[in-house]
Amino acid sequence: MLRDIIKKEIQDTIMSPRFVFTFLLCTILILLSVYTGINNYQAELKEHSAAVALNKKNLESQQTYGTLAGLGTKINRRPQVLSTLVSGIWEAVGRVATVNIAYDPSMIESKYNSNPIFAVFGPLDLSFIVKIVLSLFAILFTYDAIVGEKERGTLKLALSNNLPRDRLILGKAIGGFISLLIPLVIPLILGLLILMIYPNISLSGDDWIRIVMICVIFLLYLSVFFTLGLFISARTSRSSTSFLILLFIWVTFVTIIPKASVMVASQINPIPSIHEITAQKDAYLQEIQKEAIAEQREYFKKNPRPEDPKEREEWEKNIQEWANDFRGRLTAKIDERNAAIERDYKIKMRQQQKLAVNFSRVSPASALTFSSMSLARTGVSEHERFLNSVKAYKPIFTKWINQKIGTSQPPEEGQQPKLDLSDMPQHEFTPEVFSDSFTRMLPDFILLVFLIILFFAGAYVSFLRYDVR
Amino acid sequence: MLETKNLTKEYEDGLLALDHLDLKIEPGEIFCMFGANGAGKTTAINLILGFIPPTEGTALIEGIDVVKEPLKSKDFVSFVSENVMLYGNFTAYQNVDYFSRLAGKRNLTKTDYAQVMKRVGLQEEAFDMRTKNFSKGMRQKLGIAIAILKDAPNLILDEPTSGLDPRSGQEFLELLLELRDKGRSIFISSHDIFRAKFIADRVGFMMQGKLVMMKTSEELKGEDLNKLYIEYMQEHAGAE
Repeated sequence: MLRDIIKKEIQDTIMSPRFVFTFLLCTILILLSVYTGINNYQAELKEHSAAVALNKKNLESQQTYGTLAGLGTKINRRPQVLSTLVSGIWEAVGRVATVNIAYDPSMIESKYNSNPIFAVFGPLDLSFIVKIVLSLFAILFTYDAIVGEKERGTLKLALSNNLPRDRLILGKAIGGFISLLIPLVIPLILGLLILMIYPNISLSGDDWIRIVMICVIFLLYLSVFFTLGLFISARTSRSSTSFLILLFIWVTFVTIIPKASVMVASQINPIPSIHEITAQKDAYLQEIQKEAIAEQREYFKKNPRPEDPKEREEWEKNIQEWANDFRGRLTAKIDERNAAIERDYKIKMRQQQKLAVNFSRVSPASALTFSSMSLARTGVSEHERFLNSVKAYKPIFTKWINQKIGTSQPPEEGQQPKLDLSDMPQHEFTPEVFSDSFTRMLPDFILLVFLIILFFAGAYVSFLRYDVR
Repeated sequence: MLETKNLTKEYEDGLLALDHLDLKIEPGEIFCMFGANGAGKTTAINLILGFIPPTEGTALIEGIDVVKEPLKSKDFVSFVSENVMLYGNFTAYQNVDYFSRLAGKRNLTKTDYAQVMKRVGLQEEAFDMRTKNFSKGMRQKLGIAIAILKDAPNLILDEPTSGLDPRSGQEFLELLLELRDKGRSIFISSHDIFRAKFIADRVGFMMQGKLVMMKTSEELKGEDLNKLYIEYMQEHAGAE
């Protein structure tokens, strides 16, 4: 009997115009999103290679280590292959960080910077389609699952037989969910096939595990809205009421809660703006510069320039040593202070972020966003890891360039200056391993499963007591 | 056999929808229940089918208490509701197949379905049509076909002739007589006094939840049922 109900539910849905419409739209949107994702990724790969080559050329073309120290080196973030499915925040936060002797590195040149129109419309990635479009379809498939049968009179007819209500609701849930999966799974498989066969896209075993997990998260997210639809449908006596309630919940879950949570968190736990942080750093830099000038004067007062050429040679050598040490001390001081400001800012920011994330987790849409970005390595955490790696690289680069400035000789008359970059330390970044990503997304995974169980239990209990008249 | 003993339904808002209904429909008997809207006819059906719990009394199908053994009791009753929409995306065949399976009839073939659909007066070309294109009368016929296919000893019909054209109505009545002759207990709730009077073995008039009058076909022989009903209606309107 359960099989008959499941079969009927699938057949009834498949033959409905809304299924045909959903299937067509899903196919178009999913394939389009994968295609644009691939194109974007390839364009970013190209840009990345060009930017790396240009940076190398720039470094080599510098006349002195002094200018190189000021100009710095550019660290170009390599695009993530899974950004083809979940673009995350990387398009917004910048692709390049400049590491030089003076400033604290930060990410710049975001895609939104280069073309603000992207910021207006946002990316059309798979995560967006599942979050907005498919969740709406899930509601569309279930808002009249129970109440619609009541309105058609088929519920009364079905229950006038020896048919336990729990079996009917179970059959409807399974059959309805399978019907919803068809417009998602078929285009998704096609999309992944395109991803597999597309040239220049190489997916590792780790990437495939991540893709499977992303798909699991998508399914769980849709199941939340599906069971919610079933629940509301079993609590109402008119399908129009059911649809309105579901639409209200959908808007609250998908748009209001994620945005409101950030606002609420910033009110509860305010943090200084980035301008205030920069002002703090600048103020300290000016203070240090004053101290440096005073120390410099003091040194020259104590060590006046000797008239004797022999002594002067020794004096110049001492100055060189002192200058190297002086520069090193200054940079270390600035770095230390900046790091303290950053640390303080980060602690406050993390507290605010944590609060916002926890607030927004009430919404399954946030859980989907966080977990899919963690798995695709395109989220806030991976961005922070990358930025931290750049920041960790800065003192290494600074130390190297200071040494170079201290030991380098000016080019001889008529000779083209050439910098030796062979021993320049390179920035290294290892993307997050799967186990860490999995741990990060686990709370969201559990939350989605919990919501499914909660809504299904609600639907089940409500249907057992449902007034079929 | 269908039986109600002291069957009463009072809603939470104090509305007495059914007031101590005592009724017994024997095998091979057609009982027609008449009454204005809100008189309690559908409440009686909902209680007999176990869709709502009674406040008092019991409903029995083949001697089985519908509250105590709701699922078992439903094995012995077929139901035709008023204005059933069925599954619009399904064809007539698919609809009867699904509901027959729910009724536990798994061995029926397409030929069996076709025979019954033909018997209730559905045109052959409609068998493969989606029921969303069906008229109310066609849907009603299909609902009756579903009930017949269940082959239960008791049949409950809520306004079965509404939407049927005169010819189909006549064919339907003949079908009910045939079922009665096969020993089925048939409970009809109706406004259609003109058709029902030809087939009813007993009729009952409901008013404000109470069965106010019951007559056998023998008792009705000298009476004008139409006149009786109109008088009843007037009385009801006066009472209101």
